[in-house]
Amino acid sequence: MNQKTIFSACILAVSLMACKQEFLEIKPLVGSSEANFFLNAADAEASIIACYNPLQQEVTPIQGFGQLAPHFRWYFGDIVSDDSHKGGSGDGDEPELLLFENFQGNSGSKLILGEWQAAYRGIAYCNLSLNRIPDIDMDATDKARFLGEAAFIRAFWYFNLVTMFGDVPLVTENLAPSEYQQARNPAAEVWAQIEADLTTAREGLPKRSSMSVSEIGRATWGAATSLLAKAHLYQAEWQQCYNVAGEVMASGEYYLDPNYSNIFSEIGENGPGSIWEIQYMNASGGNWGNQLEGTFTNVFTRARGQFGGYGFNIPEQNFVDEFESTDPRLTATVFQVGDIMGDRGEFTLDATGMPHEYYAKKYFINQSDEAPFGDPNPNGYTNDRVIRYADVILFHAEASYHLGIEDQAKASVRMVRDRARGGAEQQFPGVLPNNVVNAATGQALLDAIYHERRVELGLEGHRFFDVVRQGRAATLLQVDGFTPGVHGLFPIPEAEITLSDGLITQNNGY
Amino acid sequence: MKKLLLSFGLIATCLVTAFSQGRLVTGVVTSADDNLGMPGVTVVEKGTQNATFTDLDGRFNLTVSNPVLTFSFIGYVSKDVTAGDEALAVTLEVDVESLDEAIVVGYGNQKRSKITGAVGTISTKEITSLPVLRTEQALQGRAAGVQVTQNSGQPGSTQSIRIRGTGSLNNAEPLFVVDGIPSGGIDYLNPSDIESISILKDAASAAIYGARGGNGVVLITTKSGSKNQKPQIVYESYMGIQEPWKQMALLNAEEYAILMNESRSAGGLTPLSALSNPSALGEGFDWQDEIFERAPMMNHSFSFTKGTETSSTAVGGSYFVQDGIIGGEKGRFERYTFRVNTRQDGGDKFRMGQNVNFTYLDRSALAENNEFATPVGRALNMDPTTAAMRPDGSYAYSEFIDSDIANPANQIALTNDQWVTNRFVGSTFGEYDLLSNLTFRSTMSVDLSLGSQNIFYPTFDLGIGANDPNRPAYEWRETNVLVRGENKWSTWQWENVLDYTKEFKNGDNIQVTAGYSALRNHYTNFYGSRDSLASNDPELAYLNNSLNAAEQAPSSNGGVSESSFLAQFMRVNYSLGAAWSLSGTIRRDGSSRFGANNRYGTFPSLSAAYNLTELPWVAEKDWIDFLKVRASWGQNGNADGIGNFDYTSLVFNGLNYTFGSDQVQVNGAGPVNTSNPDLKWETVEQTNIGVDADLYNGKLNVVMDYFVKSTNDMLAVVPLPGVVGFSSSATNVASARNSGFELSVNHRNEVGLWNYSIGGNIAFIKNEVTDLGTGGQPIATGNVFGAGDFVSYTEIGMPMAYFYGYETDGIFQTDEEAEAYGALPDAQAGDVIFVDTNGDGAVDGQDKVMIGNPHPDFTYGLNMEVKYKGFDLSLFLQGSKGNDLYNGVFRYDLNTTNMPVTALERWTGEGSTNLYPRISHPDPNQKSNQNTRGSDRFIEDGSYLRIKNVQLGYTLPKTVVDKLKISNFRLYVAASNLFTFTDYSGLDPEIGSRGTLEIGIDRGFYPAARTFMAGINVTF
Repeated sequence: MNQKTIFSACILAVSLMACKQEFLEIKPLVGSSEANFFLNAADAEASIIACYNPLQQEVTPIQGFGQLAPHFRWYFGDIVSDDSHKGGSGDGDEPELLLFENFQGNSGSKLILGEWQAAYRGIAYCNLSLNRIPDIDMDATDKARFLGEAAFIRAFWYFNLVTMFGDVPLVTENLAPSEYQQARNPAAEVWAQIEADLTTAREGLPKRSSMSVSEIGRATWGAATSLLAKAHLYQAEWQQCYNVAGEVMASGEYYLDPNYSNIFSEIGENGPGSIWEIQYMNASGGNWGNQLEGTFTNVFTRARGQFGGYGFNIPEQNFVDEFESTDPRLTATVFQVGDIMGDRGEFTLDATGMPHEYYAKKYFINQSDEAPFGDPNPNGYTNDRVIRYADVILFHAEASYHLGIEDQAKASVRMVRDRARGGAEQQFPGVLPNNVVNAATGQALLDAIYHERRVELGLEGHRFFDVVRQGRAATLLQVDGFTPGVHGLFPIPEAEITLSDGLITQNNGY
Repeated sequence: MKKLLLSFGLIATCLVTAFSQGRLVTGVVTSADDNLGMPGVTVVEKGTQNATFTDLDGRFNLTVSNPVLTFSFIGYVSKDVTAGDEALAVTLEVDVESLDEAIVVGYGNQKRSKITGAVGTISTKEITSLPVLRTEQALQGRAAGVQVTQNSGQPGSTQSIRIRGTGSLNNAEPLFVVDGIPSGGIDYLNPSDIESISILKDAASAAIYGARGGNGVVLITTKSGSKNQKPQIVYESYMGIQEPWKQMALLNAEEYAILMNESRSAGGLTPLSALSNPSALGEGFDWQDEIFERAPMMNHSFSFTKGTETSSTAVGGSYFVQDGIIGGEKGRFERYTFRVNTRQDGGDKFRMGQNVNFTYLDRSALAENNEFATPVGRALNMDPTTAAMRPDGSYAYSEFIDSDIANPANQIALTNDQWVTNRFVGSTFGEYDLLSNLTFRSTMSVDLSLGSQNIFYPTFDLGIGANDPNRPAYEWRETNVLVRGENKWSTWQWENVLDYTKEFKNGDNIQVTAGYSALRNHYTNFYGSRDSLASNDPELAYLNNSLNAAEQAPSSNGGVSESSFLAQFMRVNYSLGAAWSLSGTIRRDGSSRFGANNRYGTFPSLSAAYNLTELPWVAEKDWIDFLKVRASWGQNGNADGIGNFDYTSLVFNGLNYTFGSDQVQVNGAGPVNTSNPDLKWETVEQTNIGVDADLYNGKLNVVMDYFVKSTNDMLAVVPLPGVVGFSSSATNVASARNSGFELSVNHRNEVGLWNYSIGGNIAFIKNEVTDLGTGGQPIATGNVFGAGDFVSYTEIGMPMAYFYGYETDGIFQTDEEAEAYGALPDAQAGDVIFVDTNGDGAVDGQDKVMIGNPHPDFTYGLNMEVKYKGFDLSLFLQGSKGNDLYNGVFRYDLNTTNMPVTALERWTGEGSTNLYPRISHPDPNQKSNQNTRGSDRFIEDGSYLRIKNVQLGYTLPKTVVDKLKISNFRLYVAASNLFTFTDYSGLDPEIGSRGTLEIGIDRGFYPAARTFMAGINVTF
């Protein structure tokens, strides 16, 4: 009797143990949480839209520091380069940016912290989608496309990180608290991941021509292929760059708009030569924050005074001088004194209240196009043209040159030059005739390619990274204090070194 | 047969002696301890008040009519002896009962002499002697190291309980276990139903509660009947009247007008015409008088107990009602309780029992303890020139103050905020002796709570005028709004426990308790809201009475949430020889609240005690009855600060992006905060050493403990490395340390017919934050509107939530002095000198330093009781020493609120004062020294000593109660919070916490009432 009872007590005890696994598995039943998300195709798509969202983040609230940190692509690409000066209301307006412009920037800057946090925030959403979507039972084509989009966006962020900071932690999974402290991976590993992600993306993404109008703005095969070409270019892998850029050019997906000034007009958004644009709209209120639909580039780069802007990104004389006289791209890129700034009036020094004689023009919008909310910090609709077809053609030109295929290089440069002139050089008297390009060879040809990049893509956030990659920064930026071996990379944010428990090391020279 | 004969003999003796009226009995009383005569032993003729005492040699003589004598002496077992013809020789045994007293510990009982951990106990006598209104109050001042502080003086408010300091940044409240059921909130209990309370203070005694025992455990055992007990009915009742005991000294109307005129002038504004003739305004209106009132309270409680050979039953019921000293019935708390507790034997080996509690709570409450919408805060800040009512009987509004400070009398009249809770707590167990020394017990318990919330906001208009677009929101409401909510919390728990004991031949003893526990919580709610009700009468406030059907759809929402715990535990107690007691426990706890990577935690403990009385050199000391040293170490967890789904992150459906040539915004969704698959309990590790001593024949009892309690893995939201990507959610990163010393001393004695006891306890606890995760970013809490800043700060190396702000150094007497100071460019004569502590030439946030510590140096309790014949007098004091309070009562940010009288001592010219700054509205040029910013000027010493209770009772003599056919009758008068000794200027120095990291901030604290009451206890 006793043994029987003991036995049944044990059974009871064991049965209680047996149910323990599911007994402790309780998921939320209402509301949406990560635990009950990623159940179906709709969840997958919503998560992909969320991957795009951080792309719009140019002004980042710094976690734990209660500050906002702007980190526009043109901050580092243009202002730090020889194309433009900081501007603003004076030296005290964004002083950290002035330090970077003079190569005195330091690791305590919130600007680079903003860049770092925004990139990894974007990566975190991509990681989540890339890790969870494969388990969803859904249409295979859609699944491949979603994974391709996330892979493409992740590659975009890592491209920004590796070009700005060099070695960075390579995070491809969402981290548990025990994994929060990550060390840096060699840049080569980051580049390998970028290439792998872009290969995934190229396989899964549709071509632009196959997309519906409502899908415009989503990542395409062309965007992934172009970014891959750019990745090879930055690694001086000329043959791969040549091949991949060549694929884009042969695809027939893109052509150069005959009218250069269309590119930065409203009708030029997602135009024929547009490969990858970060989309903005002015339909939402312009509050400072990170869930923004509109861009602050418009207001930041517009002249001050009656023009209602903050007057950043002031073109340098050196940059203006790079343009051949009457190159129509100058008037599409730079406002000069006496120009009419849309419906905001004539540009005079008095009207701006500042001494600058030039303003950036590509991201100018009319007052009538502003979001109608009267917000003191209005945002604008202008998409950020991240990769244009002309850029890819010039990748190809540069790769061709380095591979010794000078004819192809010249042909590519001419495509870009000719378009700027409406296809006919004679229309613009005084412009160097094409035969200079045609005749150029060796260093002269390379200089012609470099010249073309600068004037074609001016004030679009490329210049600093181009001259560093081309090995010319030491010469061109010496006057600003550029030290080779140091200033080709930005400092790792000090806060990140602290929060990594010292696992993350500082870049050389900072 | 033998028995019968004996009884017969006894009866015969009685009969015989009954005839010999008034005969003299003599004898001597000796102690069994040393066989020496015992002086001072009370000798009473049983059932009478005829008594005497033994002399120095232990001899006595007493003339009695009844031959049965009762011999009693403190620390000895009382004895009834029937006098024969010869002189009596009585031997009294030392009362070892108290050492054998069973103390309730987790999943069992333990003899007091064998306890190895730090366990505080509170007996039913202490609980009911007060009487306490809430069970938590019974803990206050009664056990060393248990700090109980009211969070509000409003009826039904919770208390903040900290066992051995604040051990968490999150939930620092202990776990309550009522009759084996973990209970969130114990307000459903009638305090007089409680048999005993045990407080498991150290990790070793709480380790058997594993992941939930980290903040200490309060074990509550309710009364049950005992076997073979005659039916007994107890009726208890008291009535009381509560009153406010203090008012803050504020400006009267004349003074207010003078200072306002001065303030406006200083700020470059013209004085207001309404205040142009201050002396005409006189005293003005006293808003504190207006909101405070006397309020009644009442309690009725009965219980019935009975036992047979095989069963016992206890039944109880009670009714308690308490009105608020603010708003009366608007702050009423009503409690009805009913309970049945039964035990039955089913043969020799099987026992079962049931415990059923039903409680109905009805609580109406006024807003409290914030600086924007409470009657107290408003009454203290309202200008004294405005009266509550206009002559026509309508509520008035102030011409000078708007926004948060509106008419508190009107607010009270308009408040309709009621919670009605129906709570059922019950359990049933079966227990079977598998072997003579092996028992299996299975207990199923349920806790079901149905809470209905009913909030009605009637329309009103204080007459500012509907057309005034600037009329403040607090002075009118155009549409009435009703919110009704239904909440259901349910918990079930199933526990299976095996108990094994074995005594070895050498006298060693082992006791093993092992078990499983499964627990599941479920919560659902449903809320609905409608506006535009037909009537403004709260009695008619039902959703279906809304007239607004078409224009605005009724709003509703409802949710559900669940959690579960699963545990295995074991405790082994081993008595090694006569002196050693060893104990080890281990509990493995799993919870659905923990992240997938940390589903289970294991919590071990070890403890030992050595009975020094077994050592010859101790045993030979007459004055030492019992001496034990204890040491323990253990780990617990604190899982109750974790939300049910904190391991995952909420998906935010607003991560949008723009697509398409028409630029259409498309909805994206994803988490914003991190998920935390590592989320787990906070780990509390504690080492304790202690001494228990009974001295001088039980007259003196001393318990001492020293402990070090470290909390690691504390959950905190700290900045995350950027690589994480998502925003920070709570992670197990922070650490804190509490260490302290506790002492409790009790003395009891009899001198003649006087029987007295005096006892006290004191605890010194030091609190320090030791880690806040990588980077160590401090946590700012305690936003005070009047300061316009956070005044509490939690930082490594400092006590939790210490007061943080500017240090001051007097008042600038001249403009030149202010200018020369430099660090305060906006300051002028009459402004506060804030110290540039870092010497960088500017006073800014970097200069904030510790300006106060809200944690007391020590807390203490003191109780005294004297009995003489039928009278008993008791006194209970309780206090706190060395804690600071932040006086954030006054809304200086609004410029026109009333102020304390100290404002009259403001700076008015060079040399006038070095304490109080000039009074000024903000300068039109925005130049302001911000004299009211959070600084040491608002830190006050919060030390207090409170006469918590004083009570005088009288128990009717036996002869009288016998005639009344009852067995006991006691009546008493008592006063609670009779006097409070403090230097604090606010309404009440006993200010608890709001959340864990806001301690001791006075935002217009709802003070505790002083209560006078009278009551009776009758036993039939």
